[in-house]
Amino acid sequence: MKIRVETLDRGAVVIPEGRLDFGAAAGFPAELERAIAQAGGAAVLVDCAALDYVSSAGLRALLVAVKAAQRVRCSFALYALRPAVREVFDLSGFGKIIAVFPDRATALGAAAPTPP
Amino acid sequence: MTEARTVVAADAGQLAVLTAFVQEFWRTQGLPQQAALPFELALEEAFINVVTHGTADATTAVVAVVLRRAGADLTLVVADDGPAFDPLTLPPPDLSASVEARPVGGLGVYLIRQMMDAVSYRRVDGRNELTMVKRFTG
Repeated sequence: MKIRVETLDRGAVVIPEGRLDFGAAAGFPAELERAIAQAGGAAVLVDCAALDYVSSAGLRALLVAVKAAQRVRCSFALYALRPAVREVFDLSGFGKIIAVFPDRATALGAAAPTPP
Repeated sequence: MTEARTVVAADAGQLAVLTAFVQEFWRTQGLPQQAALPFELALEEAFINVVTHGTADATTAVVAVVLRRAGADLTLVVADDGPAFDPLTLPPPDLSASVEARPVGGLGVYLIRQMMDAVSYRRVDGRNELTMVKRFTG
């Protein structure tokens, strides 16, 4: 699975491409945690538009990343999930523990720090 | 009735071979592409369970996978020659747990049950057999 990372003003967007299956999941947490470290406590988003497939191994990798992000108070969210991937997400209850948005704009809007 | 079968080593690295096997069956059978994902997912979860749990004493050598189409039913069988291991006895995940409380795991069998209409296990002739059936309604 190919993974690109785009740096933003306030964080990073991780862009996986292909299938997040058992094999791809092995290296995914390290990529996510690197992006979380680089984002410096801002926001890490995962752009799922090119994510064809996710299995329980992929969900586990995302869970590891959520916990890592929470530890450093970095916000973490996914956006643009494909319907089939969204279904697996919802079935496993992950929609309750990982924020999901329709697109980058709403995801970034939600990650913006609230004004005082 | 159409049937396809493949045999792979009980090694996680063989997952790509099994994914290609499902996709080839789908292509030759002219089945709708979006209907493949539940089978690919069920196959991965079943196969990885065997590789992860069933090889405790490293005697599991091979995993046989069968896809069978009969009428509106599509059957997936994952069989291995390892020690007796029934994945359906694995504890279910706690889907309501918070991030902190949630253990990392337990989802595989649950997803198989969600994706398939019927799931059953039997031990026969020194093999574990997990049979999963899904009926196509259109």
